[in-house]
Amino acid sequence: MKKGLYILLLCLGLSTVFFAAAGRVHAALGESVKSVASDMKALSAARGNITSHDGYTVQEINSPSVAVREYISASGVVFGVAWNGLVRPDLTQLLGSYAAEYRETLRQTPRARGRRSLRIETNHIVVEEWGHMRNLRGRAYVPDLIPPGVSVDEIN
Amino acid sequence: MKSTRPFLVFLILVLAAGCGGGSGGGSSSGTSGSSNADNIVSITVNGSLCSGGSYPNKPCVSVKVCAPGASSCQTVNDILLDTGSYGLRIFKQALNVSLEQVTGGSGSLAECIQYADGSSDWGPVQTAGVILGNEPAVQVPIQVIDSTFGTAPRGCQNADKSPADAGFNGILGVGFFVQDCGSVCASNADNGIYYVCSGSTCSGTEVTLSSQVQNPAALLPQDNNGVIVQLPGIPANGSASVTGDLVLGIGTRSNNAPSDVSTYGADQFGDIVTNFNGVSYISFIDTGTNGLFFPSPSASQLPDCPFPDSDWFCPQSTVSLSATTQGASGSPGGVVPFEIGNFDSLISSSNHIFDNIGGNQRGEFAWGLPFFLGRTVYIGMEGKSSSLGSGPFWAY
Repeated sequence: MKKGLYILLLCLGLSTVFFAAAGRVHAALGESVKSVASDMKALSAARGNITSHDGYTVQEINSPSVAVREYISASGVVFGVAWNGLVRPDLTQLLGSYAAEYRETLRQTPRARGRRSLRIETNHIVVEEWGHMRNLRGRAYVPDLIPPGVSVDEIN
Repeated sequence: MKSTRPFLVFLILVLAAGCGGGSGGGSSSGTSGSSNADNIVSITVNGSLCSGGSYPNKPCVSVKVCAPGASSCQTVNDILLDTGSYGLRIFKQALNVSLEQVTGGSGSLAECIQYADGSSDWGPVQTAGVILGNEPAVQVPIQVIDSTFGTAPRGCQNADKSPADAGFNGILGVGFFVQDCGSVCASNADNGIYYVCSGSTCSGTEVTLSSQVQNPAALLPQDNNGVIVQLPGIPANGSASVTGDLVLGIGTRSNNAPSDVSTYGADQFGDIVTNFNGVSYISFIDTGTNGLFFPSPSASQLPDCPFPDSDWFCPQSTVSLSATTQGASGSPGGVVPFEIGNFDSLISSSNHIFDNIGGNQRGEFAWGLPFFLGRTVYIGMEGKSSSLGSGPFWAY
C-alpha cells in the first residue's frame, strides 16, 4: 500500500510537470511551477520544448522576437531564466517578486558608457545581459535556489 | 487563473490516474560621385568629432542630415560609429532640420531599441536625406531619439533622455545587416521594437523592410556592398586621440580594393566564433564596445580592477594573450594576439585611447575598439558580394 502511495504521488508530481509544460502558463523566477498565475500572454509567447537535465528541467517559451528558457528544479521551483533574441523579454514578468529589487539596483548602477553588457547583483538575484543588436542575450538566476550539483554555467 | 484551479486539479488527477504523460509538447537619389575622396568618412577616436569629455575609445563621425528634398541640411558631430548596430539614430536635441515622419496605418511609426547594457532608445522613425562623406544623399528612415514621444512602451521605460545620458549625439550603425530588425518585424505586430502611435497611444505594429530603420551605407548607389574601418596603431601607453577612415564600399573604387585578408563569415545573428583559453565563444567585432570583453581565464592572471572600475581588468603588468577567430561555419581560423594592461594605471594618464584595455564578461568574446587599432577591417553587407565573398562577414 505504501508503495502504491509513492507511485501515485510520483505520477501526481510528474503529471503536474507535464501539465505545466502543456499549459498556457509559465513561471517567474523563484516561484513554483505549480502556482503560476501569470500566463504567457504577457510575453506573447508560445510553449517550446521541455528538456530534462541532471537535477532540473528547461522549459522553452518562444515569441517571434525572443526565446526564453526557464530552469526548473526537481522540486518545481524556477531558479533561473535565460534568453536570446531581438529584444529583452519583459523582466518585470520573468523576475516576478524580485523585479522591484532588480529595478532599484539597476537605478543605482552608474551608466558604463561604451559597454555592451550589464551585470546586476541584488541581495537575492543576479541578472546579466550581453550581445548586440539582433542578438540580445541574458540570464537571471537566484544563487540560493540553484540545485546542489548544478553549475551556474548551465543557465545559458 | 484562480477560477481554473478546479479544472487544473481535475486534469492533474486524470493524468495521475492514468499516469499518462502529456506530450511536451530605401531608395537612393542623385548620381554617384567619382572622386576617390567621396567615399571616405573621417573618424576621430575621441578628438575633434567627439564631444568634450567623451569616454575612452569612443569613435566618432559626423553625418550630414537633410530634410527630404535637401532643402535644408545640417552636419551633426559626435555620432558614435557603431559596427555592432544597423541604422542611424540621432537625438532630437541635436537636430534642427525637419524630417518626414514615417507613417504606419493611421499613426506615426516609432521604435524601441534596446542595448545589451540595459539602456534603450525610444522615438519616432523619420525619413532623412543622409549624406556620408561626399556620397550622394540616401533617403532613409532613421530613428529620432525622443523619450517624450507618444508613450514609451515597457521595453523603453528607461529610454535615454538626452545626449548627456547616452554619451553621444547619435549612433551610426554600419554593421553588416541592412535593417535594425529585419523579417521578424515585417511579419509580427508584437515584435517589441516597432510601434505605431496616435497621440499618446502606441501599439505594436508590423513594418515592411523598406520602412524599417536602415543602414545608410547599405543604400548607397555605388559603394553599398560593405564598409572598411581603418584606424592607426598606437603606443602601448595609449594616445590622446587618433584619426582614421570609414571607407564606403569594398572593391568598388581604386581606394577600397581589398588585399591580404581572411574573410570570416557571420551567422544569421551577426556572430562568429572566438576560441580562447580552450573554450569556444560566440563572438563579434564592434567599434561601439570600448574594450576587449571576455571571460577571464583566471583571477590571478587577469584580476578585476578595484571598485568602481571592477568592469575592467587590472593585472599587475601587461599580459600577452592570444585567441583564434573562426568564421561561423568553422573556417577559416586566424590567430589574434592581444594584450591586456592595467586599466587604472593606463587611464590615469592624459590618454584616452588604448589598444590594451578589457574586462571580464561572461558568455561571449567581444572584440571592441582595441581590435580596430592598427588594422584594416572589412565588413561585408548581407545580400551583397565583393572579391572577399558574400556578406555578412568580417575580413581582416
